[in-house]
Amino acid sequence: MIGRAFVFAGRNLLRQPGRASVGIFGIAAVGALLFDMLLLSRGLVVSFRDLLDGIGFDVRVVASDAAPRSGPRLSDAENLTRQIAGLPQVDEAVTVRMVDATVDEPRSHWTIGFELTAIDPARRRPWTIMAGADLSIDSGQGILLNARLADALHARPGDSIKVRVSCIADRAALAPATFRVAGIAEFPFDDERWLSAAAWTHGVLGACGGGSSVPADMIMIASREGYGADGAVAAIRRIRPGLRPATNEEIVARMQQQGFTYFRQISTVLSTITMLFGFLLITVLLTVSVNQRLGEIATLRALGFSRARLAADIFWQSVLLVGTGGVLALPLGYLLAQWLDRILKAMPQIPASMHFFVFEPRALVVHGALLVMTAIVAAVYPMRLVSALPISATLRNEVVG
Amino acid sequence: MIVARNLVKTFPMPAGPVRALRGVSLSIDAAEYLAIRGPSGCGKSTLLHILGCVDPPSSGSLSFDGRAVESLSDVERSLVRLRSIGFVFQRFFLLPMLTAAENIEVPQAEAGLAREQRRRRTAELLEYVGLSHRAEHRPSQLSGGEAQRVAVARALANRPRLLLADEPTGELDRATGDQIATLLDRVHADGTALVVVTHDGAIAERAQRTLMMRDGVVTAETRLERET
Repeated sequence: MIGRAFVFAGRNLLRQPGRASVGIFGIAAVGALLFDMLLLSRGLVVSFRDLLDGIGFDVRVVASDAAPRSGPRLSDAENLTRQIAGLPQVDEAVTVRMVDATVDEPRSHWTIGFELTAIDPARRRPWTIMAGADLSIDSGQGILLNARLADALHARPGDSIKVRVSCIADRAALAPATFRVAGIAEFPFDDERWLSAAAWTHGVLGACGGGSSVPADMIMIASREGYGADGAVAAIRRIRPGLRPATNEEIVARMQQQGFTYFRQISTVLSTITMLFGFLLITVLLTVSVNQRLGEIATLRALGFSRARLAADIFWQSVLLVGTGGVLALPLGYLLAQWLDRILKAMPQIPASMHFFVFEPRALVVHGALLVMTAIVAAVYPMRLVSALPISATLRNEVVG
Repeated sequence: MIVARNLVKTFPMPAGPVRALRGVSLSIDAAEYLAIRGPSGCGKSTLLHILGCVDPPSSGSLSFDGRAVESLSDVERSLVRLRSIGFVFQRFFLLPMLTAAENIEVPQAEAGLAREQRRRRTAELLEYVGLSHRAEHRPSQLSGGEAQRVAVARALANRPRLLLADEPTGELDRATGDQIATLLDRVHADGTALVVVTHDGAIAERAQRTLMMRDGVVTAETRLERET
């Protein structure tokens, strides 16, 4: 019976190609928005997790729950890092300081400010080299520039630049120090306009005259295999209860509750509205179609089609409209997501490697499930119309009409 | 084949209930040809729909082949209509998106016949109604008489024991109506019981028995004695 009802529903749709097209393209548009909302609902979370995990460190230690550079910093960072690095649960620990720096651009004589990350020499490097070479352990005055800073300075690997570094706010700036550009790198948390650079800690602190007394912004930790990030965090909490160590998962969860919750709420509201539109569109189309075919439906009932059989015809029409539209919605939604992602990423302080719309197989499953639900709910009213249709009265009205 | 006792049908209307049938009793034998006549609104079509298991009576009883129709579920009544009863309507009611052949296949497919069986039976029926050359035409491409012949073929698709026709010539001119009447004669002659609701006296004269109805009751019954 299902096969016959399906074929019959298909033919009923084909006889009114205009109506079927409106339904399919309407669902494609609505489905594309729904798909995008599903990608958006978890996109930042997934993207942020990928970003954190991609750096190679799975625990971060800071002095407070505030974002880096906006709260208290870690004092006595050298000893602290050494103590943490000595824990059996920790494979590697590096101190990270983010300081302001300027360079006088030689051609225009403009002063260009940027953020310089001072990091301890380590096996793991939280950047990707795009040109030139990475910092070597012994290159005390080597520096990596991001592409935008290199462009602004017209600097290439091997060039020397004079950098004025300010580590401590109330200290007068020292004379600029010379750094050799080792390479051009991509830093994971840079946004598309951000100017940034990285150099080893001792070179940066030497340039600003701060020495090891300069507090650190964060300590990045890679847990040792077998202990895991949770083990490392527990060990750090035991030896330094005043610190705020957090695994990548905990940071993501915190962001999910704070900054990303707006996107989830927006996504939920818009998903609900798009589903409502889809439901109304299909219900209206099927109801109009049923009302146009009352005589035909009554005839089929008289010929021996049961109520359930004709209701199944309506159900399959709904499934075909929503299914075809839903499949078309995927490429449409993907293209729309790319476009919206570019618009949203233009916002300041959004790392270039983060995305608002991220595909997960889960989104596809939820998209399919929501559309199936839409198809079922949208078919309920027209199915009820068909089931309750009085055969004799309808045939009589058709003849009299 | 059909035994109806004291059939009453009341339609609820805003102005008050309308009694379309007021206690009709009749029986129809297998292979009988019965005509039902009467003025508009006398309850002819209502009676036909009740006899065809389309509409339940408000009261009274109906049995088809010994089975009480009122005790059957919607699915069971649908199966009775599908397998044992054929319907021909005044306005043909062919499915517009299907060809003539496909329209004839619809009830067969619903009855679960295999594709090859359906094709064979459809070709046979198109031949029977003289429309083999119109098999691939859609209803909009057929004349009124041709469409009604396709409707007769569709009604016969599952070899019903009873064919019900509601004003089968009502939309046709005299000559075409005669062709349909002749076709119905042939259907009857081939062993199918026939109940025709009609205003057309010429058709009624072809029936073995005629019921005259007025105001929801049978007022007269005439039998035509044929020479055998």
